[in-house]
Amino acid sequence: MTDVHAPKSGPEPAAEQDAATRPFGTHPEVADGGTGGNAQPEAGWLRWGWRQLTSMRTALILLFLLALGSIPGSVLPQQGTDPGAVDQYYASHPAIAPWLNRLGLFNVFASPWFAAIYLLLFASLVGCVVPRTFKLVGSARTPPPRAPRNLGRLPHSSSYASALSPEAAVEGAAAVLGGQRFRLRRPDAGSGEHWVSAEKGYLREVGNLLFHLALLGVLLSIAAGGLFGYKADKLLVEGQSFADTRSALDEFNPGRLVSGSDLAPFTMTLNKFTASYIESGESRGQPSNFDADVSYTASPGATPGTYHIRINDPLSVDSLKVYLIGHGYAPEFKVTGANGQVAYQEATPFIPANTGTFLSDGVVKAPDASLGFMGVFVPTAISVGGTLESIFPAADAPAVSLIGYSGNLDMNGGASQSVYQLDTTGMTEVSGSPHLLVPGQTWQLPGGKGSITFVGVKQWVSLAITYDPGQLPALACGILALAGLLLSFFVRRRRVFVRAVTAASGTGSVVTVGGLTRSDASGGFEEEFAELAAEIAEAESAALLEPAEPAAPAEPLGSGKPEPGGNPESPKPGSNPESGA
Amino acid sequence: MFRAKRRTVVTVTAVLAVLLAGALAVTFLTQGKGNASDGGNGTVEYQPGHRPLAPDFTATSLTGTTISLSSYRGKTVVLNFWGSWCPPCRQEAPTLAVLAQQYRSQGVAFLGDDVGDTPSNALAFTRSAGIGYPSISDPGYLIVQKFSQVAPVSDTPTTVVIDKTGHVAGMVLGEVSYGEMTTLLRNAAVTQ
Repeated sequence: MTDVHAPKSGPEPAAEQDAATRPFGTHPEVADGGTGGNAQPEAGWLRWGWRQLTSMRTALILLFLLALGSIPGSVLPQQGTDPGAVDQYYASHPAIAPWLNRLGLFNVFASPWFAAIYLLLFASLVGCVVPRTFKLVGSARTPPPRAPRNLGRLPHSSSYASALSPEAAVEGAAAVLGGQRFRLRRPDAGSGEHWVSAEKGYLREVGNLLFHLALLGVLLSIAAGGLFGYKADKLLVEGQSFADTRSALDEFNPGRLVSGSDLAPFTMTLNKFTASYIESGESRGQPSNFDADVSYTASPGATPGTYHIRINDPLSVDSLKVYLIGHGYAPEFKVTGANGQVAYQEATPFIPANTGTFLSDGVVKAPDASLGFMGVFVPTAISVGGTLESIFPAADAPAVSLIGYSGNLDMNGGASQSVYQLDTTGMTEVSGSPHLLVPGQTWQLPGGKGSITFVGVKQWVSLAITYDPGQLPALACGILALAGLLLSFFVRRRRVFVRAVTAASGTGSVVTVGGLTRSDASGGFEEEFAELAAEIAEAESAALLEPAEPAAPAEPLGSGKPEPGGNPESPKPGSNPESGA
Repeated sequence: MFRAKRRTVVTVTAVLAVLLAGALAVTFLTQGKGNASDGGNGTVEYQPGHRPLAPDFTATSLTGTTISLSSYRGKTVVLNFWGSWCPPCRQEAPTLAVLAQQYRSQGVAFLGDDVGDTPSNALAFTRSAGIGYPSISDPGYLIVQKFSQVAPVSDTPTTVVIDKTGHVAGMVLGEVSYGEMTTLLRNAAVTQ
């Protein structure tokens, strides 16, 4: 529809009305399936499929599926985070575990079906956002529609008689509306009509778009975390240090695009680990505090720093986080072979078998003395009917009980072994019964096979090192999504029209104000409209009263001169909370 | 006109989305387990002119002497990352000991980097295995970290061959074999 001519002889009022109430977008929607009858059937199917995929309903279903799919990921043990727990699950549910595995439920976030949901959602969002962006740009560049002829037919309208001429009345209304940051449209020069169209609330669509874009951002952030992030575990004994390299880590679960040389080049030393326990009362033995005192350098040559890593208080170094996830005891042993030479001296991590009392199991392997030991460590030892037990988790009265073996440990065969297990095949027990040692004591093995000394006790910590580059962007996008959603909920798109005609009496004019909104879910347009209409009328009477001397009311104000007194720029306090829209 | 434009937009978007989805799907689906390359042995070789410069370092040996890589300039260096706790390292050690003997006269020096270990344990092994060449005491993997950009050691053992000019000529991931090492050393001798 063109704006070139506006003949006085009523040009199809129905069409005018249509233009005013046309969708609050840019241009009429292309009719669905508007390819016409001559389109290729395949193309039609493709278009149909694409429209289905990018429809809001599909996106919501996919979002729901994504949430649903994450449930097994948090309920069932996952290969990536805890392979041991998966093995345990296999052992305890031998019948269903293989089936769950076939469905990828032990590795949900890397399973093809999860990726499919994720990617479809991604495609759906992209397919929705791009046309929306064009639509928004288009609507921002399209002026408001012309004012309909009969404003009384709009959902909201009011009219009043004015002493001003139609030009001046419309001018005053335009100033009020412009002051409230409405976008305005005036009739073409020389049309002889006096009206103003105003539109406001574009932020609604901006918010909507922001919401969609932020959702995309969340998806991309999570993908970035999965592709470029990594998780690693490291067991570190007091006094030991390690450099963040793949071979130094006990467990390393890299993202799909992480290579060994991408690790942050930090180094860390565990100076001391302190675990405090409640000494008395009901909860005696319960931990009250953990504190890992570490020194670290973010990169070679950087200034060393120190930190106290506590539960829920990780060390942040070079965009990665180091969490304290476990601890235990590492009794230090010195093993001497039959030749009298030291074959082994190391603080050996023992694994807690009882997390309440920290009774722990471990092995000592001295292959170069052909000796191996299985040990039980107790931090606070008592003897219960000849059996070694621990009564408190702190190392108040540490002791170890050792069973010695001699023979070939088969460590030169090339096959990997667990450092926590001793394969006694091909070895013989050196004595019939376990031998108890306290710090400082040495056990001379029978038959001159050597000796083992319990030097002392150190503690170890288990650290989780995580690098997730998607975490912060995901949070930011989440906040943006919420902001966008709020905008699109609370901002409404609305149009206000003002039309003035010369009064029947010949002087003054009749001014009609009409209002229209599409989405008034949150309500309030009626009040806003009433206030606006009142303000327009008020500004007008102010214009009539104020100019003391010259400006005769009938004087046209067509030069766009602002109202001297009415000051429509400052709306009444609180009258329009959405004036920024 | 709008109609044509809209259709183009939709088509372009569709193509982009499908491409992106495809790319992501490929990355998602082609990845194996994170540590997949751990078990695999392999040899990496660099041609002369394309050899990365090995980082210099000064460190303490298992017996307490100071060793710096730059002091080996003019010799080919075989740098073996190992630990006495690591069965494949222990298994390959005799091969390295033999090679060290054979190549000594040809200006090839062998050097160990003992990681995640204590000097007592490591020396007990070098004595029993008859390893004559020195090893750096590197319990915290610091030398490994220095090499991470030119010769990433993803697991022990890893053996890096550094040519006379101090550039990395190649590396063996996993246990070395006699044949692999003689080939690497022959090629490393060619520096131009």
